[in-house]
Amino acid sequence: MIELHRVSKVYDAGPQKFPALTDVSFRVDKGEYVVVTGATGAGKTTLLRLLYRDEVPSEGEVEVLGQSLAGLRRRQVQTLRRSIGVVFQDAKLLPGRTVYENIAFVLRVTGAPRREITARAFEALRAVGLSSRAQAYPAHLSQGEAQRAALARAIVRRQPLLVADEPTGKLDDAMAAEVLGIIQDIWTGGTTVILATHQARLAAALHRRTLVLERGRLVKDEG
Amino acid sequence: MFGFLLSEALRDLRRAGRVAVSAVMLITLSLGAAGAFWLLSMNLGRAVSEWRGHARIVVYLKREPPASEIAALVQRVQALPDVGSVRYVGKAEALAGLKRILGKDADVADQLPSNPLPASMEITPAGAATTPQGARILIERLAAVPEVEEVEGGLEWIERLADWQRLIAAIGLGVGAVLALAAILTVTTATTLVLHARRPETEIMRLVGAPELAIRLPLLLQGMIQGLLGALLALAALRIAHHFAAPWLEPLTNLTIGLPRLEFLTPPGMLTLLAAGAGLGALGGWLTRGRRGAW
Repeated sequence: MIELHRVSKVYDAGPQKFPALTDVSFRVDKGEYVVVTGATGAGKTTLLRLLYRDEVPSEGEVEVLGQSLAGLRRRQVQTLRRSIGVVFQDAKLLPGRTVYENIAFVLRVTGAPRREITARAFEALRAVGLSSRAQAYPAHLSQGEAQRAALARAIVRRQPLLVADEPTGKLDDAMAAEVLGIIQDIWTGGTTVILATHQARLAAALHRRTLVLERGRLVKDEG
Repeated sequence: MFGFLLSEALRDLRRAGRVAVSAVMLITLSLGAAGAFWLLSMNLGRAVSEWRGHARIVVYLKREPPASEIAALVQRVQALPDVGSVRYVGKAEALAGLKRILGKDADVADQLPSNPLPASMEITPAGAATTPQGARILIERLAAVPEVEEVEGGLEWIERLADWQRLIAAIGLGVGAVLALAAILTVTTATTLVLHARRPETEIMRLVGAPELAIRLPLLLQGMIQGLLGALLALAALRIAHHFAAPWLEPLTNLTIGLPRLEFLTPPGMLTLLAAGAGLGALGGWLTRGRRGAW
């Protein structure tokens, strides 16, 4: 499903170079739930961005969903991204649209047949327990609800891979547990999950395979 | 998906607000100016072709030839290069023509002791003689015919009219082009503002793998809508101006250049103006560049 082979990523800022990842290698099989943890700045977000090709590695090779991401053309990147659901710490909902419209937006812009849009959007909303808030605007949602809406958007295309970057970072414990429960359900449904968090306690509580990053290096792969 | 992208374009247009209105007004100005010059040039063009079709060279004869010699003379002139047709006008016919022109004062002609008008031939130029240079050569040839007293006519003034027509068309094109450039820049500015406002949408679209067309088509459509609106307003303004100005100008154009009616743009002309508006707007929308992702 996912394979990184000796991947390094260095950001150039003029004459200075900032290594974000150094010589990282690992493999994730289909249906796995993997937690990536490490302190802020350890390279978690860079690692995830490499998976949906928002970044390209400076060295090494990244393979996602059975295809190497090196030298992908624009259309191939678009096809890859349609198979990956992404959620962030910030829900990134579109403020001028209702929850339903935010979910349907993804289907519309990726050319889903019109007759399927409503059914699939509500299916995703049901999966995150947000059907009753379909007509609410993001400004009227709690942070937990907003994150659940973002999760619904991430799975509405029934993507086989879910990448979650600090999805509970802004939530209190109760809301975080709720969101993690939904992610657990999504994983149980057969979706491969990669979840990044800086909260070591939370990572430990999940009892899943955990990749620990320190200053861009993979120092532990356990579970 | 097109319906959805069109609704996105309309939503963007509302977001652009005043800048979009400025863009529409500039397109209206640009196409209005170009359209006005076009109308003027088109009507002058009609006058020019009308006059070209009726251009005559009149050859006055030293004396009226006997009836038996007229046909031979006409045939001889007809045989000259670049002569289209020849019509002989005898002294009596010339006088009758004068009386027709004098109307109720025709009696004056009857007071004359003899008919002072010369016999003549009206020549319609053809081929190279329809140009001023060719007409001059034909006049020289006609003047060399022994029976000819004087040759009158020429195409210089028609060509001067044609030069004016070309000048007006060029000025219209120039003014239109400058204003069109400003309109494109304004549409681009409006679209850039929209692009900034819709960055969250664009980010999500790129993230979920929306095709590039789905990202850029609303920008293109938004520009096209602005352009079409501008062109429609320009067309309406031109129609209203023509409706009110034509009755005032027509007596003047009839008297000066023999054009009794000032025409409005033809349906293909109006469509061209609308297409130009849509094209300008679309170009402005398309020229907008946004941030691309890692691809």
